Amino acid sequence: MKTTETIAAIATPPGEGGIGIIRISGDEALLVGTKILRHPSGKPIKSWPERKVRLGYVVSPDGERVDEVIFFYFKKNHSYTGEDVLEIQGHGGYQNLKKILTLVLKAGARLAEPGEFTKRAFLNGRIDLAQAEAVIDLIRARTDLAQQAAFKQLQGDLSQILKEQENSLMELLVPIEAALDFPEDEIPDLERARALEQIHEVRRALEQLLAQADRGILLRDAASVVIVGRPNVGKSSLLNQLLGEERAIVTPLPGTTRDFVSEIIDLEGVPVRLIDTAGIRPINDPVEKAGVEKARQLMAEADLIVVLFDAATPLTPEDQELIAFLQAKNPLVVLNKTDLPVKLQVETLQTAFPQAKIRFISALSGEGIQELKAEIRAELMGTAGREEQPVLVTKVRHKEALSEAIECLNLVEEGLAEAGSEDLLALNLRAALEALGKITGRSVSAEIIEEIFSQFCIGK
Amino acid sequence: MQHSFDVAVIGAGHAGCEAANATAKMGFRTLLLTINFNNIAFMPCNPSVGGPGKGNLVREVDALGGLIGRNTDLAHLQIRALNTNKGPAVRALRAQTDKQLYQRLMQNYLERQPLISIRQGEVIALDRIKDHWRLTLSTGVKYEVAAVVIATGTFLRGKVHIGQLSFPSGPQGQHPAIAFGEYLETLGVKFKRFKTGTPARVRRRSLNFAAMIEQPGDHLAYGFSHWVPWAPREPVSCWLTYTNEQTHEIIRKNLHLAPMYCGAITGIGTRYCPAIENKVVNFPHRERHQVFIEPEGLNTDEMYVAGLSSSLPEEIQDQFLRTVPGLEEVEIVRPGYAIEYDVIAPEQLSASLQIREWPGVFSAGQINGTSGYEEAAAQGIIAGINAGLYLKGESPFVLRRDEAYIGVLIDDLVTKENNEPYRIMTSRAEFRLSLRQENADLRLTDYAYRFKLISDEEYDRFQAKRQRILAKLSYLEQNQLLPDSKESRALQEITGITIQQKISLKQLLKMPAVKLSALWDVIAPEKGCLLEDEVVENYVKYEGYLEREAKMAARLRKMEEKKLPEDLDYMAVPNLSSEAREKLNKFRPATLGQAGRISGISPADLSTLLIWLTGSGR
Repeated sequence: MKTTETIAAIATPPGEGGIGIIRISGDEALLVGTKILRHPSGKPIKSWPERKVRLGYVVSPDGERVDEVIFFYFKKNHSYTGEDVLEIQGHGGYQNLKKILTLVLKAGARLAEPGEFTKRAFLNGRIDLAQAEAVIDLIRARTDLAQQAAFKQLQGDLSQILKEQENSLMELLVPIEAALDFPEDEIPDLERARALEQIHEVRRALEQLLAQADRGILLRDAASVVIVGRPNVGKSSLLNQLLGEERAIVTPLPGTTRDFVSEIIDLEGVPVRLIDTAGIRPINDPVEKAGVEKARQLMAEADLIVVLFDAATPLTPEDQELIAFLQAKNPLVVLNKTDLPVKLQVETLQTAFPQAKIRFISALSGEGIQELKAEIRAELMGTAGREEQPVLVTKVRHKEALSEAIECLNLVEEGLAEAGSEDLLALNLRAALEALGKITGRSVSAEIIEEIFSQFCIGK
Repeated sequence: MQHSFDVAVIGAGHAGCEAANATAKMGFRTLLLTINFNNIAFMPCNPSVGGPGKGNLVREVDALGGLIGRNTDLAHLQIRALNTNKGPAVRALRAQTDKQLYQRLMQNYLERQPLISIRQGEVIALDRIKDHWRLTLSTGVKYEVAAVVIATGTFLRGKVHIGQLSFPSGPQGQHPAIAFGEYLETLGVKFKRFKTGTPARVRRRSLNFAAMIEQPGDHLAYGFSHWVPWAPREPVSCWLTYTNEQTHEIIRKNLHLAPMYCGAITGIGTRYCPAIENKVVNFPHRERHQVFIEPEGLNTDEMYVAGLSSSLPEEIQDQFLRTVPGLEEVEIVRPGYAIEYDVIAPEQLSASLQIREWPGVFSAGQINGTSGYEEAAAQGIIAGINAGLYLKGESPFVLRRDEAYIGVLIDDLVTKENNEPYRIMTSRAEFRLSLRQENADLRLTDYAYRFKLISDEEYDRFQAKRQRILAKLSYLEQNQLLPDSKESRALQEITGITIQQKISLKQLLKMPAVKLSALWDVIAPEKGCLLEDEVVENYVKYEGYLEREAKMAARLRKMEEKKLPEDLDYMAVPNLSSEAREKLNKFRPATLGQAGRISGISPADLSTLLIWLTGSGR
C-alpha cells in the first residue's frame, strides 16, 4: 500500500519565543527523525519509545549541530492526526526554526498546508466533523466567548448532546422498523403516548440549541454593525470612540472599497465588525456610485444599523433621504454632538422611527459611549440570559440541519397524535436522524438493521 | 446431441429458472443445466413466498416478465395480506405454496419454451476459449457458449451438518457440486463460506392441532401476478404454537452437540432466520418463541416447522419438538440441518451481476450471498437480461435504488461487505414509499417490453391499465364537489365530513377520512376497480411525500451520473482517508453514488473524490 505523504510545519506562531515547535506527521516521520536527530553523544537514534521526552541535537547532512532540542514521538494510535507524529522543540526564533524545518523538508517531508494536521485527524477518524470545524474556529476565535464556544464544540459537547438525541430517536425508530419488516414476530406495539413524550423532549433539546444558534453564529463570524450618516455627522469620531482602548483585532477588510473602514472590536466577548459607510446619496461619479451600491448592500446584510445624526443642525435633505431609506430597517438612532446646542427636531425623528429609543452621545467628549456599547451588545445578543446556556451551535450549516430535524419531528408528533401510519412515522424519524447526521457525521441506515437484530428475536 | 447454445445457465433453482426464461425470451438458445432434473425450482426451506420487501421483489420480478409471481399464484395454498394498517409503503402479500405443484408448474412452463433445453448434468469446469466459454460436465460432455449464468445456490461445495454428523451434500440430500467449486477457486475466484439451515419436517398425522392456534388465510382480490388471472382457492390453514422453558432447557443442555457452538461450522449464519439454538442463547430471557406449522403441499403428509430450524442431533430435535404443545407425539419425517456453502466475495461482481474479470459470465442467487427464493429470482432475471444484453452487445441493465427493491438488493450486494446471507428488508430501501407493491408494473413493465420478456398482448393490457389510472387522476383533479349538492350530502353520510365550499375530488381524497371507494360510490360507481384504485389513492394521499422522495432520487441520480473510471488508482488520490482508499480499490464502484454507499466512505471522501476528478479533467 502506498503511504501517505509525510508533512511538517512550524506549529508555534512566528516571532520570538523561548521555544518553538516543529510537528512532523506521516508514515515517514521517524525516518525523517532518524536523518536529522542525534543523541547528545552524537550517535544516531535507533529506538523510539513512545510519548517519552528526550534530549538531542538536530544536525545538518554533513553532521554539523544546528540546535539543541527536545523531541517526542507519538505512535499513530495515540497521536492527534492518527498518523505517526514526531514533535521537535527547538529554541524559539524564526530563523532557527526555519533552519530546522528546512532540514526536515530535505529529509523527505513536505510542508503542510494550513489546517492539514486537523484535516488528517478528521480523515483518519480521530475527530468528527463538528470537532474538526471547531479546531479551526478555536484557532481563529476572536474573543473569549467565541473561544469558549469553539472549545466546547471541540470537546464534543455539541456532538454529545446530539448523540443523546439521536439515541433517543433510534430507540423509537428501531421497534417501529422491526415491526414493519417482521410483522409476524413478537415485537411490542408502539406506545404512542410515551413516544410522543419522548419526541417532544428531543425536539425541545434541539430547539434550545437552535435558540442559541444565532448568537453562536455571531460569535464565530462576528456581528456586522454598519454606521451610517451623512458626511460630517461624526461617524469617524464615533468609530474611534467605540474602538477606544479595545485593540483592533483585524486589519481593514480586503475587497471593500476605499470608503469603508471595517474594524473588529471585542464588545464584552462579542466580536463586532464595525463598518463605516460613505452614505447613500447617489452621486454622478461612477466610483461614488459603486460605493453607494455597496453601502446599501452592507446595510441589507448587517446584523444592526446605527444611524447617526448631527444634533446641532436641523435635518438636511440628505438626512431625510436616509430616514426614508431606513424606515423599515429598525436602526439604532443616535444623535451626536450633544455638547453643542440641539437644533434638530427630535420629534420628527421619533415619528420616523416610532420603535426607536433615541440615544444621545458626544463622540467628542465620549459622553454616552458606554451606554451605546451596552445597547449595541443587547441588540445583538439579547439582554436576557447572557450567562445561561453555553453556546454550542456556531455555524449556519448546523443551524439549518437543526431546523430541518425539528421540522421532521413536528411531523412525527403530528402522526403520533393523529393515528398516522407507521411507515410515515418511520420515514420522518429517519429524515430527522439524517438531518442530525449532517452535523455529527453519523449514518443511521446501517445501524437500524444492526439494532433490529440485537434487540429483537427475529425469525420464524 | 445439440451442443450449440448461446447461453448456459448452471443451476435450475429460483435464480436459474428466471435467468433461463429471460435469455430465451430475448431470443437466445438457452441451455439450462440442473444437477437433478426432478428438482427444478425446488424449495428446500419454507413453503412460503413473499412478505414485506420480499413480496415487493416478487411483484417486481413479475412486472419485469419473470416467473416467480405467476407460479406462486398458481401453486398457492393460502395467501395473506400483511401490515395492512401500517401504511401503503409496507403492505405486503405472503403466500404458502404447494411445493410439489410449484416445481411441476415451473418445469412444465420452462419445457414449453422453444428456446430452452433443460438437461441434467454436473458442471465440473468452465474455461475461456477466446471470447467463448466452454463448460465441461462430469460425463465428459462439453458445451461452448458465449455467455454463462452461474446459479448454483447452496450446492457449491455444500456441506450438511446434523449434530456431530457432517457430510458433503446439497440441500435435502442432493448431490453437491464439489468439483466445480474447486475448479472456480483454481481460476482465481475468491469465495467465502456462508451457512444456512432448515427445521425438521414432521408428519401431519402425528400432530394435535387442537393444542394450536389456527392461522387461516385471507380472502384477497388479487395475488402476485400482473398477468395470470387470479384464481383464489379455499385457503389451507397454518397453525401457531409456542416453545417453552422445557424446550429451551433441552437445547441449552445439548448446546455442546450443536455444530455452530462446538466449532464444526465456520460459515456465517443469518440473524433473521436463526436456528432455535441461537434464539435460546441470544435471548435467554424470552419465555417462549413462536412456532408455525405449515403444510408442504396437498399431496403430502409433510408439515414444515417454522421457527425451529436446528442442526442439533436428530434425537435432540425429536426431544425438544415433543415439548411443544401439539407436537407431543411428533414423528419426524426429515431432521433439520445446517448447510455450509461457497459464496462469491462481492467485490468480484459488478452491478450487472457479471463477474468483473470474466466478460459474459454472470452469477445470481445464493452464490452471491443472499438468502430467499425471492432474492434469488430477482437476481436471476437481472443476470438473464444482462447475459442477453451482453450477447447483443448492448450496455447492461442496472436498476436504481429509487426504481425497485431489485435495485436496492443488487446495489447492496456489490457495495457492502455482507457478513451473513443477505435478506431484503423494507428498512434497507431509502425510497420505501415509492417502491410499493401495487405500483411495481408502473415502475418496471416498460423495461419488460423493451427486453421482450412480455408479449405484445400483455403490454397492451398494461398500457390500458396505465391509461385508466391517469384518466382517474385527472378526473379527480378536474371534478369538484359543491356544498349542499346531492353528492356532498351522500359523502357526508359515509365520512361525516361536511363540505363547506367548492372542493376538488383530489383535495377531498387527501383527507384521511375519505376513501377513494367512498368517492366512487357517491359520484361514479362504475369507476371503482380495486387494484388501480390502490395506486390512485396512494398517489393522491401521499403526493407530498412521493414528491420529496422524487427530489431525493433526483439528487441521487446526479451522483449516479458521475462515472468513476474503471482503472482509477484510489491510492493515488490525495486526501482520501486510508479506509476509503482501501475500500474503493477493493469494490471499484462504477459511479460516485455507488462509492458513497460503500461502508466506511464518508461524505468528506466523496467531496475529495469529486474535486479530484474535476481537477484532473476526467
